[in-house]
Amino acid sequence: MVPWLLLALPLGATAAAGSDKLLGVHPSALAKYTPTKSNTWKCLDGSKEISWNAVNDDYCDCPDGSDEPGTSACPDSRFWCKNEGHIGAYIHSSRVGDGLCETECCDGSDERPGTCPNRCKEIGEAYRAKRDAELKIQKTGSKIRSTYIAFAHKERKRLEDLAASLEKDIVAKEKEVEKLREIAERTESLTQAALDHKRQSPLYQSLLNHNKALKSLKREYKKHADKEKQLGQILDSLRTGYNPNYQDMAVLEAVRGWEELAGLPHINDVKKDGEESSTPEPESEKTEEAVDDGLWTADELDSELDDLIGTDYTSLLLEHEDHINTPTEDSLLFKITSYIPDAWLPQYEAWKDNFVDWLEKLGIVSEESSGSSTEATRAQQALTEANAELAHMKREKTESESDVLKIFNPEHFGAEGEWKKLDDTCINHEVGDYTYELCFFKEAKQKPNKGGSNFSLGRFQSWNKDARPGSPEYYSKQVYQHGTRCWNGPERSVVVLLTCGVENTIYSVQELEKCEYQFKGTSPALCLPPGKEPQNHEEL
Amino acid sequence: MWARSVLGIVSLALVFNDALAFKEQDFKTCSQSGFCRRGRALSQRAQEAKSAWQSPYSVDPSTISVATDKAVVQAGVKSSLYPEVNFGLEVRIQEDGAVRVRMDEVGGLRKRYDEAASWALISEPIISKNIKWVAGKKDLRASYGPNEVVVSYAPLQVTLYKNGKEQVVINGKGLLHMEHFRKKPEPAAAVEATPAAEGQEQTVIEAPENPRAWFEGADEDALWEETFNSWTDSKPKGPESLSVDITFPNHPVVYGIPQHATRLALPSTAGENPTFTDPYRLYNADVFEYLASSPVSLYGSIPLMHAHSEESTVAVFDLVASETWIDVSHSTDRSTETHWISESGILDVFILPGPTPDDVFAQYAKLTGTPPMPALFGLGYHQCRWNYVSSEDVRTVQKRFDEENIPMDVLWLDIEYSVDHEYFMWNEKMFPDPVEMINDVAATGRKMVVIVDPHLKRDNNYPAFTAAQELGILVKPKSGEGEYEGWCWPGSSSWVDFFNPNAWDWWKSLFKPYQLEGGKWSWTKSTEDVHIWNDMNEPSVFNGPEITMPKDNVHYDGWEHRDVHNINGMLYSNATWQALAVRSDPPKRPFVLTRSFFAGSQRFGAMWTGDNLGTWEHMEVGVKMVLSNSIAGLSFAGSDVGGFFGNPEPEMLVRWYQVGAFAPFFRAHAHIDTKRREPYLLPSPYKEMAIDTLRLRYTLLPVWYTAFRETSVSGKPILRPQYTVFPKDRRGWEMDDQYYIGGSGLLVKPVTKKDVREAEVYLGEDEVYYEYFTGETYRGAAKGRTVTVPAALDQIPLLVRGGSVVPTRERPRRASGLMKYDPFTLKVALSKDEGARGELYLDDGETFGHQRGEYVWREFTAVKSKKGLRVSSRDLGSARPAEAVEGASPGLTSYDRGNKYARTLEERDVRVEKVVVVGVKAKPKSVKLDSQGGKELEWEWTPGVGSKEKKGGRAGVLVIKDPGVKVTQDWDIVIL
Repeated sequence: MVPWLLLALPLGATAAAGSDKLLGVHPSALAKYTPTKSNTWKCLDGSKEISWNAVNDDYCDCPDGSDEPGTSACPDSRFWCKNEGHIGAYIHSSRVGDGLCETECCDGSDERPGTCPNRCKEIGEAYRAKRDAELKIQKTGSKIRSTYIAFAHKERKRLEDLAASLEKDIVAKEKEVEKLREIAERTESLTQAALDHKRQSPLYQSLLNHNKALKSLKREYKKHADKEKQLGQILDSLRTGYNPNYQDMAVLEAVRGWEELAGLPHINDVKKDGEESSTPEPESEKTEEAVDDGLWTADELDSELDDLIGTDYTSLLLEHEDHINTPTEDSLLFKITSYIPDAWLPQYEAWKDNFVDWLEKLGIVSEESSGSSTEATRAQQALTEANAELAHMKREKTESESDVLKIFNPEHFGAEGEWKKLDDTCINHEVGDYTYELCFFKEAKQKPNKGGSNFSLGRFQSWNKDARPGSPEYYSKQVYQHGTRCWNGPERSVVVLLTCGVENTIYSVQELEKCEYQFKGTSPALCLPPGKEPQNHEEL
Repeated sequence: MWARSVLGIVSLALVFNDALAFKEQDFKTCSQSGFCRRGRALSQRAQEAKSAWQSPYSVDPSTISVATDKAVVQAGVKSSLYPEVNFGLEVRIQEDGAVRVRMDEVGGLRKRYDEAASWALISEPIISKNIKWVAGKKDLRASYGPNEVVVSYAPLQVTLYKNGKEQVVINGKGLLHMEHFRKKPEPAAAVEATPAAEGQEQTVIEAPENPRAWFEGADEDALWEETFNSWTDSKPKGPESLSVDITFPNHPVVYGIPQHATRLALPSTAGENPTFTDPYRLYNADVFEYLASSPVSLYGSIPLMHAHSEESTVAVFDLVASETWIDVSHSTDRSTETHWISESGILDVFILPGPTPDDVFAQYAKLTGTPPMPALFGLGYHQCRWNYVSSEDVRTVQKRFDEENIPMDVLWLDIEYSVDHEYFMWNEKMFPDPVEMINDVAATGRKMVVIVDPHLKRDNNYPAFTAAQELGILVKPKSGEGEYEGWCWPGSSSWVDFFNPNAWDWWKSLFKPYQLEGGKWSWTKSTEDVHIWNDMNEPSVFNGPEITMPKDNVHYDGWEHRDVHNINGMLYSNATWQALAVRSDPPKRPFVLTRSFFAGSQRFGAMWTGDNLGTWEHMEVGVKMVLSNSIAGLSFAGSDVGGFFGNPEPEMLVRWYQVGAFAPFFRAHAHIDTKRREPYLLPSPYKEMAIDTLRLRYTLLPVWYTAFRETSVSGKPILRPQYTVFPKDRRGWEMDDQYYIGGSGLLVKPVTKKDVREAEVYLGEDEVYYEYFTGETYRGAAKGRTVTVPAALDQIPLLVRGGSVVPTRERPRRASGLMKYDPFTLKVALSKDEGARGELYLDDGETFGHQRGEYVWREFTAVKSKKGLRVSSRDLGSARPAEAVEGASPGLTSYDRGNKYARTLEERDVRVEKVVVVGVKAKPKSVKLDSQGGKELEWEWTPGVGSKEKKGGRAGVLVIKDPGVKVTQDWDIVIL
């Protein structure tokens, strides 16, 4: 009986009239809206039996609101708009008869007749046009996405090859290191005793102390410099971001004080009644910082102090010896016989020849000038270098191996590796006085357009933790955290909301809470091939 | 002045740490204010002198002039301290029995400020023609009804008696002192007097004994110049303060003088063991993170005080606009003494004789006016934040509300919408499409409120500033030349002087949402759906003394800022109100929110309690502050839900929504540093609790709107604390945590403490009360009784007084305007005598049509007789046309039931869909509509307790389904 009854009724019959018992009922529920023989009807939750006349009579009888699918009488029921020519949709009962013609109910069936024209045709058309446009973007985007996936596969190949070749190199390097270690250890033991003696030299000891003092000074200097820099940053952000809500003249004074100290122009000229507006004074003293004869300038300090601290004092000690003793005394190595027990001498001599030969090969001692006494240090150096190279190779290998794992990990670059392509890709968006930069999987930054220091808005932390890894929702949100701390506020952070698009872009940046940013952007990496996206929602 | 050393920077770090607190050092105590110090010292000397003390002021009987045609008397007054100075006294008795006492210096060197009344009063009060003054040898007398006013000559004293009992006594303690204008002493003399040779003992020059020292003190204290922190007040007019004592010998408790964060019944500030050591201060100020219990001045001032006893309620209205300090003490259990110390201005005190709280409300309303009917949307829920940062943000917030089906009427924009804090000027980078954005919000029947602050950035490209500059309407510095410059949000700013009439039309022109002729600037990027928030109008000046303007700044007509300070904020919101009212044709009711206010501000919109903190203490004191404002005429009030500062925990936020839903003005707001906390962001189940509260507010909108009608006519407050409803019940006098909503019979006691799940509600009468949601009965007693009601987190202690009919609309929608044709539900809560009465007032909620008779005003009654219980609806508009609405057009003496608005409701078949009778003991035999041939109605009865019964339990409830009656119609339902 149901379908013909529907057709017989004028579309958009008034809710208040109560004549249409089936107004607002979803097609699938129509069967439930039939009266009993005695012309009664049971609330859908079964809690109450009411007269059939009480259905859709604009009075809420059922506790579950099921008797009023077509009116606003029950506070939490739903009204089904058929929206022929478009897509049917539920609206909340509070929107039935509110006088508004909402898009969701384009046929106007929720309002009194004559209130809302049926706009389903145009809305439906617009909707379909929009959907087609989106589909087009999705198609194009998904093609780009497939190139990203191909890239990920290539990348895996490359990394795996790299790891394999590194493996070989590592084996070779390990052998070399082994050899060098042996040499270095032996050289060391040979020279140690003599060196220990020489190191007793007061000059050497004093040098060491000087070195210690330099290091300590440098450490302290660095601490202070860092602190000063931090203070400077705090004051800079105070100066530019000063929040007058604190209505605090002390803050204003601090800003002015900082400007004078740092030789900055006044950011805003305000003067108290009767006070002269002061112009920025030329900062003459600062540039003319006098440098005593022969003393280092700040720049020199910067570049040369490290070299000085890094001086190899042992070598220096030995060179010093060379320098003051008249030349050509035998190298320590060759006088070793005076230190070793007689019983060992025969073996030693045999070994010595062999060893010197080795040293010559490695260039640690030269045949002619084997008089130099730094071979032990050089051996050590060679070992250190070889070790470093080995460590580097190993690290590189581990990295490539873990990178390989990340590529197809849903919690990193996606199950298909579709995000790998964007690793460290940077995109920008300009808003007002700032350019916002997002380097995927690395860092987000705020860069002032008019100069000044950049602020980190945070480093990549995670995808959308509220969604299941691998789901489209999971990849629709990235979180960047632990950026530069705000003055009197939290560390800056960003939530990046992404949708499918043919380009990697950011189109909106908003600071929704203090120092907490929201970027909105698009990426082809989010464009699943049409038809492949999970079907989990009813449209509209 | 500015820090020039590294030391200054080091100290900065310290400032950061304790920046988040009330900064006591920014605001004066009485001892840091010269005239307050002098006033309190005077009081001290009087106390020490005890009975030997006598006021030096007296009436010169030879100068008395009694008007023959009206109740006015004038007389000369002399002070024995300064015989050469003349004062003039005038005492008038108004038609309604209020007494106005004015005193000014006559023929002095200068003129005292005497224009406060012209801003605060709605019109010149009408003086009685029937009451006569009689001059006797010792005094002047005028009698009317039980009242008598006596002006004693020597010493000068004005007393109001009722039935021979002293009600109000002015200068009874002899503290009256009007400092006359004098010439500044030559500075040369001062130098001679202190020959300070170094290293020598200072020579003390014996001054001739000061004959006035007994009264004024031996030393001159801060008469000519005064420094506070780094600011020096030049005080070019010298001393001109005014001290006056007002005693209520038979009234033990006083209320009023908002705005202070304290109890409704004012704790003492003087006498033995005072609660506060400083007097209450009235000096509008932007107090950062104010304390939750303190007599310090806040954003607004209403110098009105109620004094209350079992026998009568009286009030004094001290119409002064300058900084004022008020001491309150009780020398006995039955009396109250107050001492009012003002910096400048004439004496202009109104004595309101009562004798009931309602009489006092009416008498005060007659002077300063009533709140007009608000735009209906103003009673809905307001969602604010500092700041919604972009039009995209605004749209998203609105969308989230709709997704969760949360009612909300207004989205607000704080200062960051504007570019460089130049109000009106959109930051187009973040708000590229302001008009489209506003229209999108308005598409669901909502409005926007946008902030416009009174400081204008001194930017030559800012049209509001340049125009004001050209018109020469900016406040001037002490020199009286040029423009005062101070610091506020935009940096260097100037302030429009709204005391200057030239500012008014210009201000109106700015708000026109269309292009003006002649190319003058107006806010074309706005629409009629934009309403205005006026903040910072104390005025707040970040680099000024006490965060406001220097007192020696110069306003229109040469008045100093000190003279007009407390009125300043009201003139600003007044100007904005006028501007919005004439913005459209036909005019629509404006909505203006102001932070600063004065007596009379109730005529210009709503106020809120400023920048409160997200703490339980602030939630609690917010209720008291709103009550205090309510009894002082400014009913349209609320405090920010959630607290402006801080991040309230979910429980606190839920409770705060419950508080807010039961305040006339209901807005959530948050500081820029806080986390977002829109109700949809709350986790479950808190979210649902907040949403239910919001929906409850919307179902109760008819109650609020009806309450506003009564307030708009009678001045009776919307929120009614216990003493105003039960004036004779001593136990209720100190209560300020429960209150009635208008005359609806709803009694609410919001929970303002953590972890509280029960509430003690006091019932001050022998009547039955019903829990609003469950119908649980609670019985009061003639002597008063405290009952315990459940208050789980989702429960608001809300009772319906037996004998009330509460009209509701049970279909909360997205915005109030969308509910205008929805049907009504009537909750008939039977009294112990099985009767009930209630009202419903309706109009279009947006135009001024109601003043032309376009409204519906109904009365619902339930009467028990032998013929059963009769529930009826009658027309009140026809019965009482003259008292229906405020501001009714002259000549509107009758009511047309077929008026345009009423017709609309009829055409739309706006009906009563349900009648719920609570307290019905027995199952009815029949329920019939007593017209339409006695049609039997559908009904359902749930057994329970009857309204007459003494035992507790759930009430018996009769639900009558859709009686088929229109709300505009007279009808009777008979229950047998």
